[in-house]
Amino acid sequence: MNTVEEILDFAIEREQQAADFYTDLAQKVNKPWLKEMLEGFSREEMRHKGKLKSVKKGEKLLSAEQKIQNLKVSDYLVAVEPTENLDFQDALIVAMQREKAAYRLYTDLANNIDDPEMKELFLGLAQEEAKHKLYFEVQYDDQILKHN
Amino acid sequence: MSLKDLISPFYVWQRAFQKPYTQKRPIEERPGAPRYRGFHINLTEECVGCGSCEAICQNHAIDMVKVEGLEPRNGDSGLRPKFDYGRCCWCALCVDICTARSLRLSNHYAWVTEDPDAFHFIAGTDAMPWNQNSLGYRRDDDYHLLTHDRIEMDALSPEESLKGFDEVMKGYTEEQALLEADRCVECGICVATCPAHMSVPDYIKAVRNKDWEGGLKLLYETNPFSTTCGRICTHRCETDCVLGLQGTPIAIRWLKRAIADRVPAERYAEILNDTFTENGKKVAIVGAGPGGMSAAYYLRKQGYGVTVFEAQAHGGGMLRYGVPSYRLPENQLDKDIDYIRSLGVDVRFNTRVGQDVPFSELMDNHDAIFIATGLSSPMKLRIDGEEHPRVVSGLKILDDVAKGQDPGVGKRVAVIGGGNVAMDAARVSRRVGADVTVLYRRRIEDMPADPEEIHESKAEGCHLVPQAIPVKIKDADDPNQVVIVWGEAEMVSDAKGGRPRPVLQEDRMHEETYDTIVSAIGQGGDYDFMGECLGSIEQKWGKFIPGAYQQTGVSKIFVGGDIANSTADAISAVEDGHHAARGIHRFLSEEGLQ
Repeated sequence: MNTVEEILDFAIEREQQAADFYTDLAQKVNKPWLKEMLEGFSREEMRHKGKLKSVKKGEKLLSAEQKIQNLKVSDYLVAVEPTENLDFQDALIVAMQREKAAYRLYTDLANNIDDPEMKELFLGLAQEEAKHKLYFEVQYDDQILKHN
Repeated sequence: MSLKDLISPFYVWQRAFQKPYTQKRPIEERPGAPRYRGFHINLTEECVGCGSCEAICQNHAIDMVKVEGLEPRNGDSGLRPKFDYGRCCWCALCVDICTARSLRLSNHYAWVTEDPDAFHFIAGTDAMPWNQNSLGYRRDDDYHLLTHDRIEMDALSPEESLKGFDEVMKGYTEEQALLEADRCVECGICVATCPAHMSVPDYIKAVRNKDWEGGLKLLYETNPFSTTCGRICTHRCETDCVLGLQGTPIAIRWLKRAIADRVPAERYAEILNDTFTENGKKVAIVGAGPGGMSAAYYLRKQGYGVTVFEAQAHGGGMLRYGVPSYRLPENQLDKDIDYIRSLGVDVRFNTRVGQDVPFSELMDNHDAIFIATGLSSPMKLRIDGEEHPRVVSGLKILDDVAKGQDPGVGKRVAVIGGGNVAMDAARVSRRVGADVTVLYRRRIEDMPADPEEIHESKAEGCHLVPQAIPVKIKDADDPNQVVIVWGEAEMVSDAKGGRPRPVLQEDRMHEETYDTIVSAIGQGGDYDFMGECLGSIEQKWGKFIPGAYQQTGVSKIFVGGDIANSTADAISAVEDGHHAARGIHRFLSEEGLQ
């Protein structure tokens, strides 16, 4: 990945993979309403993909300086394997952990590159992923940890 | 006649050319005294439209009217006082009684107009010249027409209550109930807030009149769990009680209990006189909790044959297995349930649908089904070490105690959570002799448990640690103990204006050893017994989303209670059951419901 375009294509492809992941999982799970929720996650990823496509056409990414709140909810939760018996708590954990992994990936890429323009782009993408993670963390905090 | 007499009338005419002696406005802007009882001002934002001003006005000079742009909401009727100055005598009783202290009098007293209809206005809403007047009559701080302090209920001391499972709150004496009922202004704002829309002012009036039988009839119009709700209701009505604006709200819950406690169970049938004719139609109800049994009561009153399938050995659901007897004695819960059963409701205990009887059988043999199974599956913490044998759920502890078994929690217990189950698990653990620490992720004021529960748990010696996030559970040196690792949390504001959220501070971690860790962070539902029907019923976040009258996408299935509402309390379950009963009746009768 040497050009802005290549990096954005990579990120767009990752969003597509994430959307496919949730669509596939939705086919597997045995709870109909969870199927719907996972399809919602997939649509959310497709929206992210759309956003990155707009960036490719000139729209601005989140600024790397713009700090997205990290609620750290997923930091201390166990890893969850996406299986057919998934419940909505686990589905949210899977989603949070996927977004966290994406955030880390872009942050690592940013740290290992010298070109300031590329660094800025990776950090911007990392911020986007942090925003996605926050979305799921807020859902987890509101729905799962309502009484805690 | 002299010449002078003849000419004198013409002298008057000379006045026509002189300045007049009379004045058009003899008093030119002479200010009223600083505490003069002049024209009304109402602080619309503070007024809640309780109508006490209208009720007390001896001249009927006040009408509560709808104000454009002001919508009714919980705690505010949306009405505001309109004054008729053809009737008002400026006695200021309306100001003295005002529960919100929003009504006052300006010292403005002159209003000149030729239009007699102009002397009507909505104070504080219509633009009147005196609206900004800072002088005039205000109620003195130490002058009250209302009794602002609640009549407290006698209770066991924390030391006494810790000795066992006797009911902590002793109930009002007749004298106490009458005094408390006397504080009510009968505004009815609580009725809108109560999920079951109980006739609160009317039954409080029945208390005032010592009409316990009439009071019981009123209670049963909307709530066949009045003995129970008189003890453990979440009493949102009290949150919006207008007496709470200046003092403490009316103890509506305790007054409900005062009625139910004064009518012995043996007299219920005679007083309530629930007679009906069998209509030949059959309804199955899954779950004998407050939702299911309320539906059973109102359906039976319509003549339906009602069968309730209950997995446990007794009815009441979470009221029996999740609420300890020091808050709700079993015999009081039985009083409510037994009366419903006495109407011929067939409750099949120890019968788990999906296991002991297939759901398809219910579908085939009944005209409609109401499902109110409650949330009985404890949520998991999903942190490392959660499967440790010394980690148990709050529901398990409460279930053990309800069944007369020793929960075996040991001497040092950590409870995780901030809801009523967490508080009860903590208080039960105290009663079996444990030192109890409650770890809660947010602040005390964010705890979803009832404030009384929080207060009483503290009084009984539970140690509440707010902003504590459990991170890991691991083995202790002693195999009969367990270690919890938790970190302190900082609260961060929510970008969308919601409640602040806790964020773990990794540099402030703690490790503590306990005999038992009780996880009580909430419960989920288990609906697998419904099989393929589930696919046609809308759900979100593990709860059903019913349509009108609690009906689901499968037209003969209705749902309610904790599995279908966001409040997950007994009174909401009662209302869901009542509402579903109305829906089922419409569905199965000519009134029609698709």
